[in-house]
Amino acid sequence: MTQATDGNKERRTFLGVLLGGFSALLVAAFGWPVYRFLAPQQVGEGVSVRVDKKDIPIGAAHFFSFRGSPAVLLQPKAGEYIALSAVCTHLGCIVKWEADRGEFFCPCHAGRFAMDGTVLGGPPPKPLESLSVVLEGDQVLVG
Amino acid sequence: MMTLMVRNIGALIVVFLLAGSGFSAALAAESVCLQCHAGLEGRLAAPVAAWDSSIHAQNGISCPDCHGGDPTDFAMAMDPERGFVGVPGHGEIPEFCGRCHVGVKEDYFDSGHGRALHSGGPQCVTCHGNHAVQTASLALINREDCSRCHEYGRAEEIKAAMLDTDRLLAGIQSDLDGLAKTGIRVREMEGETFALRNDFHRLFHTVDVERVREQTAAFQQRGGEIRTEIEAVQEELTTRKLLGAGAAGLLFLVSVICFLIRKTYRDEE
Amino acid sequence: MRKRLLDFLDVRLGIRDILEQNLTKYLLPRNVNIWYTLGAVLLTLFSLQFVTGILLLVYYVPNPDEAFKSIETIMNDVPYGWLIRYLHAVGSNVIVIVLLLHMLSVLFMGSYKKPREFTWVSGFILFNLALALCLTGYLLPWSQLSFWATTVATEAAGAVPVIGDGLVRFLRGGAMVGNATLGRFFALHVMVLPAGLAALIGFHLFCVRRIGISKPPFGEEYVPTEVKDKFVHEEHPGGIPFFPNYAIKDLAVISFFLGLLVVLVFFAPGLFIPPAAFEPADPFTTPAHIKPEWYFLWAYQTLKIFPSEFLGLASQGAVMALLALLPFLDRGRERRPARRPLFVTCYLLGILLFAAISIWGHYS
Repeated sequence: MTQATDGNKERRTFLGVLLGGFSALLVAAFGWPVYRFLAPQQVGEGVSVRVDKKDIPIGAAHFFSFRGSPAVLLQPKAGEYIALSAVCTHLGCIVKWEADRGEFFCPCHAGRFAMDGTVLGGPPPKPLESLSVVLEGDQVLVG
Repeated sequence: MMTLMVRNIGALIVVFLLAGSGFSAALAAESVCLQCHAGLEGRLAAPVAAWDSSIHAQNGISCPDCHGGDPTDFAMAMDPERGFVGVPGHGEIPEFCGRCHVGVKEDYFDSGHGRALHSGGPQCVTCHGNHAVQTASLALINREDCSRCHEYGRAEEIKAAMLDTDRLLAGIQSDLDGLAKTGIRVREMEGETFALRNDFHRLFHTVDVERVREQTAAFQQRGGEIRTEIEAVQEELTTRKLLGAGAAGLLFLVSVICFLIRKTYRDEE
Repeated sequence: MRKRLLDFLDVRLGIRDILEQNLTKYLLPRNVNIWYTLGAVLLTLFSLQFVTGILLLVYYVPNPDEAFKSIETIMNDVPYGWLIRYLHAVGSNVIVIVLLLHMLSVLFMGSYKKPREFTWVSGFILFNLALALCLTGYLLPWSQLSFWATTVATEAAGAVPVIGDGLVRFLRGGAMVGNATLGRFFALHVMVLPAGLAALIGFHLFCVRRIGISKPPFGEEYVPTEVKDKFVHEEHPGGIPFFPNYAIKDLAVISFFLGLLVVLVFFAPGLFIPPAAFEPADPFTTPAHIKPEWYFLWAYQTLKIFPSEFLGLASQGAVMALLALLPFLDRGRERRPARRPLFVTCYLLGILLFAAISIWGHYS
């Protein structure tokens, strides 16, 4: 009687361990797709954006979407283009372009940036991120 | 003579394809054309059933789209004032069909067939029928039909030249249908295949073997690209099935283990 | 470590007692058969529907212009979106099958009889709620199948005398299935029905535990329980603890049905999903051979058989009422199938009729 119970206990423990292992595997097998479902890789990483030159008037700023965030293209002088991220480096608000002063102004805490991105005043700790610009025919290739 | 031939082919097609095609007739809100003609006899009623089995009916193209007239008004249904053009004569048919099938019309008039139109040569209805029109296929090029006017040899050459590409495109089409039924996004590929197939079928109407052979390479290449895309999708689907088999296997294994554990308790109960 | 945690909770919540009452000292009869596990299977499957439903809700857009596209995005662009969608769609069909099996086993064992009438009635309502969830969920992808199957299904309400047309308009939110229909069906499917289902499942389980699990009416030692006219919780002294003995059995059958679900999802998802489900809805084009899902074919065909729509609906209503009120109509104390020949005959005929009418509905 005791023998049978002992043998049973051993078998039970062994099977229990197997059960635990396979269950953990199953939980992972279902958990992984759920995680990926909720956190898909952003499409557009490393993708360049093309903007038509005619959309960027001289002395004005053209805002567009770049890899999921707002960015800005400037043409301060004819043929000269600057591309910057429009996300303020202080706390993430989007900067506005003030054409009459030739500066970027952040409405959240009055941060100021020059047209090349350097900080002119206010709380921002770093300049606006600079983006690469390549001219291609009548388009500008950013990134 | 031709009407008889057309009617025979049409009847054959109708006999084979009459199953389950009723709804399109219903959806056309039963035009007065169908309502009236269905109740007539003999050759005046025949077009209704014939059209019903056609590819035109499946795509919502009905009587007034070709013949004009007013489908909502019994009195004015066949009035020229409402655009009714009646039954086109033998020589008028290519223009008639060519109002929509423009590319084919151009190639046709460019060809030997087109040039022979007014001396008893073939036109659209000769091969495709008039009301029971089906999707074009290579089967329309056959000894029986083509040797009505000349020896089959040249037609056979063109058919052979087109066979491989036709198979490729038909294969792609059916694979895409299969994928669509599993929810895979195939709309772009389907559109391209449809355009490709149309261009390809249009090509025949020039009845010029050299042209066909020249252009075959381009079709094969583009078709090949689509096929590669499809194969990538199918590979992904196979991977999914493998993972699924693994997961199911694990679950059944867990079930068995649980039953075994249950047995150890059973022995003690 | 575990002991410390249990002690912590026990001092504050008396958890040891609760665990004992419901797990280790909850005794069941020795001959409880495998059909008793179907309740646990249903709990698991409903939970799965709930989880996959919430996940789908993250990407689904309940607007006629965007619904179909959002489902296409889920199926093609969202990682493993196809898996979540298929689990949800195929899962709903498996739930209906298990529900039918659960109901059939309860009928066969006469477990609906006094004093378990409330369990039966709440279970019957749950079955109808599940079907309503299927019906409302069906519309959400806004495919040809969704649109027209819903049109056919809501049209049936028109057979009710006097208020029929008004009822159809109320269900649809208008004359035809459209924007308004999607709005109300979405609200029903995502909030109202799940809330009702959860509440009623709670009540159903409460009834099961409160009166005590019934013993299977089989075997030579079976003696019918005396039913008194006062409350008695059915005990099974000398029985077998739920945990771990029967819990592991529940787990075994749950795993089996999950395995079955996975096989269907990966190898035959189209079994329950016809091609028309992958074409966007076109209110101006009715596809040929539109039919409701298999579990509604009996209703569909019954309506077609009767020359009068009202009779068709009334006959179905009568059958449903009969089933719902069964414990009040069948008052015999006997639960052994061998000693209920009339009931078992009707039972078998009922199953055959259901199957026959459904198959007829499929081919008609």
